[in-house]
This record gives sequence, structure tokens and C-alpha cells, in this order.
Amino acid sequence: MQIEIDHISKEFGATAALHPVSLSIPSGALVALLGPSGSGKTTLLRILGGLEFPTAGRVLFDATDATNLTVQDRRAGFVFQSYALFRHMTVFENIAYGLRARPRAQRPAKAEIARRVTKLLELIQLPDIGARYPSQLSGGQRQRVALARALAIEPRMLLLDEPFGALDARVRKELRAGLREIHDTTGLTTIFVTHDQDEAMELADLVVVMSMGRIEQIGRPQDIRARPATAFVKEFLAV
Amino acid sequence: MRSPLINRSPLPGMALSAGITLTLLSLVVLLPIGALLLKGATAGLPSLWAEVNTPRIWGALYLSFRLSLIAALINLVFGVALAWVLVRYRFPGRRFLDAAVDLPFALPTAVAGIALTALYAPNGAFGAIARDLGFKIAYTQSGILIALIFVGLPFVTRTVQPVVAEIEREVEEASATLGATRAYTLRRVVLPMLAPAAMTGFALSLARAVGEYGSVIFIAGNIPLKTEIAPLLIVIKLEEFNYVGATAIGIAMLLISFAMLLLINAIQVFSRRRIGYV
Amino acid sequence: MSDAPITHSRPAHRPPTHRPVTTESPGFRYALIAVVVLFLAFLLFAPLVAVFAEALSKGAIEAVTSLANPEATSAIKLTLIVAAVAVPLNAVFGIAAAWLITKYDFRGKALLITLIDLPFSVSPVVAGLCLVLTFGANTAIGGWMVAQGYPIVFALPSIILASMFVTFPFVARELIPVMIEQGRAEEEAALTLGASGWRIFFTVTLPNIRWALLYGVLLCNARAMGEFGAVAVVSGKIRGQTATMPITIEMLYNEYLSVAAFSLAAVLALLALLTLTLKTLLEWRFADQLAAAHRP
Repeated sequence: MQIEIDHISKEFGATAALHPVSLSIPSGALVALLGPSGSGKTTLLRILGGLEFPTAGRVLFDATDATNLTVQDRRAGFVFQSYALFRHMTVFENIAYGLRARPRAQRPAKAEIARRVTKLLELIQLPDIGARYPSQLSGGQRQRVALARALAIEPRMLLLDEPFGALDARVRKELRAGLREIHDTTGLTTIFVTHDQDEAMELADLVVVMSMGRIEQIGRPQDIRARPATAFVKEFLAV
Repeated sequence: MRSPLINRSPLPGMALSAGITLTLLSLVVLLPIGALLLKGATAGLPSLWAEVNTPRIWGALYLSFRLSLIAALINLVFGVALAWVLVRYRFPGRRFLDAAVDLPFALPTAVAGIALTALYAPNGAFGAIARDLGFKIAYTQSGILIALIFVGLPFVTRTVQPVVAEIEREVEEASATLGATRAYTLRRVVLPMLAPAAMTGFALSLARAVGEYGSVIFIAGNIPLKTEIAPLLIVIKLEEFNYVGATAIGIAMLLISFAMLLLINAIQVFSRRRIGYV
Repeated sequence: MSDAPITHSRPAHRPPTHRPVTTESPGFRYALIAVVVLFLAFLLFAPLVAVFAEALSKGAIEAVTSLANPEATSAIKLTLIVAAVAVPLNAVFGIAAAWLITKYDFRGKALLITLIDLPFSVSPVVAGLCLVLTFGANTAIGGWMVAQGYPIVFALPSIILASMFVTFPFVARELIPVMIEQGRAEEEAALTLGASGWRIFFTVTLPNIRWALLYGVLLCNARAMGEFGAVAVVSGKIRGQTATMPITIEMLYNEYLSVAAFSLAAVLALLALLTLTLKTLLEWRFADQLAAAHRP
């Protein structure tokens, strides 16, 4: 799905988290929102997911205005930084949640839900953990379950907030490859937030560097590396 | 391998603190409860049974337990709602309301008892309204119920409040991004997360209500088989110098307390094991 | 590119006000607030108001005069004596038990904690019964004490014991979580610096737990002064001798001396309000030094 961010701004009380920003994301891209904390990248992601609403500006999905679409109707697969798994539900129940929450008329049959969950467990390469509780999983497993749960609703896009933030270096590397693979299989427009430039550069097709609520540069990783557009980008990449 | 009975510690004071703890615990709690059990053992099961096995005592135990259960259920519902309102909503007077929830803990039961009676008796402010509508609150089982709700009110709220405060917003947001309506999120995500704490509060409130005396006897009317609670029967037996009778009811109530203590522990162990938190 | 001026070429698009996804609709919120406020109004606030209204129903003078009557004054005195003995003893117990439980590792700790908590789940009347069966005149201990001229039951000692029983876990319960959270490092550091046990306690531990201790003592005191069921069983309700304030309230009430009963009740209600106020202030002011459950 093609995403158009059109002069989006966001104010929390008197402070501006986002100055009007505009950004066009081609269908099927894997995009990194890169920046230090407080740069507005998570706010932008949450606006796309329908968890925050912009103070001004529009969001268009495939050229249709989606600014006022409720979070429930957006069908954005959202993976939270803390994963936000439901601790009182098994992995199976977590993944099935979005399907079971649908109104009766649109809810798939029990067997169909089971089939889809099994397929997703295979996709994340954890076929045998359906009966476990989140507390019994490692950090990397939790992240993948959160991803599978987001994919279960057949999302129109995938939004990930610091998806590898809470993991150690080795698992992080492994899961990066996993995300790339899932992106390539599903073909979903995928946007993830990160403060780690290596992660952004290695994984994304398109990197959006942000600072202080503004977009500093948009471009392919190699272009940004070769030609930093602003002093900030130069300095940020140098670290 | 079993851990040693006592791990050596460099900090002094173990003997002294153990001495004080065990002496006072024995003198104030263990010895008296032991005396009750010993009295029961000397009397023998048959005579205890004979004392308990009368319609009046069964009636009182059943009444106490049944009304306590209803009161605890009402407190469960309102306690969860109250905890939610106090943690999640911002409105004028919230902090005052929050502080006031503990009133039943701080207000002596006898004071609560006469105050509730004054209000809900047929000539009281609320009782008069009820009388005009054709029913009676004080000196009936409804009166007992009101007193029991009063004494058990803070338990559920106070156990659930910290759990509500700890729910990560992201979990609720996750539910919404997956397409769930707010009502579905509350039912399937929030309430199950509150359930273990709510059940603990429920059990505490129930335990308190079953043993409650001070606030109930004034409003109850104390009519045998109708509004006579179990603790009152102990007092009556003692006034008749029927120590075996009092012991029998006392042991029965102690057993109910222990059962509830076990229930609370089981809830906590169960939820900790399964979900990794209480 | 985002440094572009904020001026829009198209009319500024203002979305309708959205509420955060983690809140309920305003209608639901107001309804729920209204329900719980009504619930508390009927069950909590109305009785509190009733106490003072009944006490003052024949005027303030009548209410105050009734408190000056010897029955009331002796009840107030007795209640103060009971609290003055029972509360410090329970505070000492609470500190000792919390020190034992949090500073050392030994087997049976969980059982000890359960036993300390036991009085919470025992009916006050059963507690009174237990004391009568232990220290009553027809028991070995009680009989001997009566022979020595110091009866326990139907006298001051049993009232103190009953008050201690029902408030037994209060202080320990407040201190244990706080002391667990604080760990042992500070005490061990003091030890390596050569401090004695008492010095460690007074200079390191006590400053860390004082507000939690005060919190526990406050609750313990309120309950000890107001205890009814257990005291009703052990005191024998001897007028002017073993009738505490709550017992006297019952006697006056049963004699239809409404103003006198409610005036005495109002004194206890004021104490309860004072307790709640201090407790709330502690929670606001010293939240970091109280058990996690009491942090607003």
C-alpha cells in the first residue's frame, strides 16, 4: 500500500512533537525512521497506526484520506517496543486475538483461525510454542510472536516501534534477517522506528532521518551515507 | 539439596529479633489459637458436632456465609469499577475519594454499626424512604448486607488499584490495533489482567465479612434463624458459659478462615506460575 | 525539506477531536464516575455524616456534656491506656519480625509470615474466644493469675491482648516490603565500617523505615482504639472498669442514650478522619519510602 504523509504536525500542549512533515512511501517499501529520542519518529509512526491523531495535516493510504480512520479500522499491523503481548493468553491466543475480535459476520471459523495461526507460527519459525505463555519465552521469541500477532489481521502495512530495541546484539542480527524475510514474503509496506543507524542502513530500502520533529533527509542508505544533506545528519551518522 | 536451616549472616540481632518475634507471636496469637483447638480436642468431635448440629447454628453459619458472599460479590464489582475510576479518570475530588475508600478500615466497627443503623432504620434518613416504598432495611438481612458491604469495601479496590496502575498502555493499544473495540479490549484484555488481584480482594473481603461482628449486630436485629450471625452465637454461648458450644462454633469459623487463606494463596501461586505476576 | 514554512496552501485540515484509544467514551466515563460516587455516598459518606448529625441532634452543648460524664471519661481513659500499651508492643514486634524476616535467610520464613498474617483472617470474636479459653479464670494460666490477684480476662490485660491480636500484623506488614526493597547492603556497609548492631539499627535502618513505621503505627492505633468484637468478648463489659470507648458506645446505644452514644462515636470518628488524613499525607509526601502498594 502506498502511504502519503501530507503536512502532518502534532502538538502535545504547547510543545510541538512534529513540525509539518511530508513524506511519500511507495508501496512495498521497507522504510526506517531514524533519529535520536525526541525526534518525533515514534509520534509519526503512532499517527500512521491511528494511535495518535495529528494536530493538522493528512494521511493518505493509496490516495484515500485515512486521517480520521479509527485505529480499529486502519488494519495497521503494529509491533510495540515492549511487544505488549497479552500475558494471560497463550501464544496461540495472542496470535488469534485479532481474528477473534472481529464482529461475528467477519470472524473466520474456528478451524480457519487455527490454520492461520499455525501458518504464522511456521512463518516466524516457532511452530511448537503455541501453548506457551509469553512469560515462558525469550525476548527474541516474544518479538517474533508480536510480529505474527500483527500479521494475523492481514494488515495493510506493518509498523514497528524499535523492534529490536530490547534485544542483545546476536539476537538482533538474527531478527533483522527475519524481518527482511517476512517483508519480502508478504510484500507489505513496512515502516520501522530505530535510533540505531546500522540497523536502518542495513535493513531499509529507504531511510528517513529525523530530528527535533523535522525530517532532515530522505534517501537510500548509500545515498545518505555518501551525501548527508544537513549538518545534523552528518554528525548523527558520524557517531 | 535442602537449604540449611539458617544461613549464617554477618548482621547482628538475629537472636534478639527472633526472640521478640516468637515470644509475642506465641503469647498473643499461637497460644490462644492453640487453646481453642485444645479445648476442641478435649471436648471431642462428637460433642463438638452435637453443639454445632442444631438448626439455629446451621442457620447462623449459612446466613453469615451467604450474606458475606453476596456482599463480597457486590464489592468485587464496585471495587474493580472504583479502582479503575480512581486510577484512570481525572475529575475533581478524585484524591479525596481515593483517601475516603479506607474509611471502613479506620472507622471503628461499632461506630459504623450505629451510624448505619441510624440511617437505615425505619425512622432514619434512608430507612424512612424505604419504609414509604414498603420495605425494611435495618433489622433484616438487607441491613446485615449493607454492613458487610461497608466493612469489605476497601479490599478489592486496594488490591486492584496497583495492578491497574501497572497495566502498560501499549497492551491496550495493541488490542486496538488488532481491531478490537474498546469494550472487547476491556473484557478480554483488561479484566483478565485484573482478575487475580480482584479475586484476592474478593477473598479478603469475604473473610472479613464472615467474621464481622461490631458493625453487624446493631443493624441485624439478631432474630434467631432470621438475622442472627455466627459470631454473635459465640458471644451468646459464652454468656451462657457454654464453652464447648462456643469452641465448636469458633473452630467452625476458624476452618472457614483457613480455607479462605488457602484460597487466597492458591490464587496467587496459580497466577504467578501462569502469568508471571500477581 | 521539512524546513519548509508552516503556511499551508490548502485550508488547514482540523480533524475532529479524537480521544486516546486507551480511554472509554465520555458518556461511559461520566456514568461510571457517577455510579461509584453514589455507591460511596450511600455507604461511606452518609454514615459518617450520620454520626455527627446524631451527636449534635440536641445541640453541641448536650453532646459535649455527655462526654464529660464519668462513664465516658473512664472509657476514654481506658482506651488511651490500652492503645498506649498495645501499639508500642506491636511496633516493637513489627520491627523485630521485619528485621528477622528481611535480614536473614532461614527455613520456614513463609510459614512465619503466614502465622503473622493469621490474625487478619480470624474473626475478632473468635480471637476473643481464644483468649478466654487461654487466660479465663477456669483455665490453668488464668486460674493461677486470679489466685495471685491479677485476673487477665474481664480485666485490663485481656483487653490489651485482644487489641494486640487484632492489630498484630499491621506494623510488620508495612515494614517487610519496604525493608525487602531496601535490601541489606546499607546495613552490611555500616557493619564493615565497624558500627554495632544497635548503632546500625538507629542510624541506618530506622531512618529508612521511619515513615513506613509511622504508617503502620497509625493504622494499628486506629484499629486498636476502635476494636469492638474481641474486646466485647474478653472485657466482661464492666461499667467504669473494663468498658472501652466502643463498648461504652454499645451500652449507651442499647440504653437509648443516643446523643451520648453518638457523641462518643463522633470522637472515634474524628480519630478515624485524623488517621486517614495523616495516612494520606504520608502517602503523598513520602511515597518513595512506603510499601509499593501505598504509592498513589
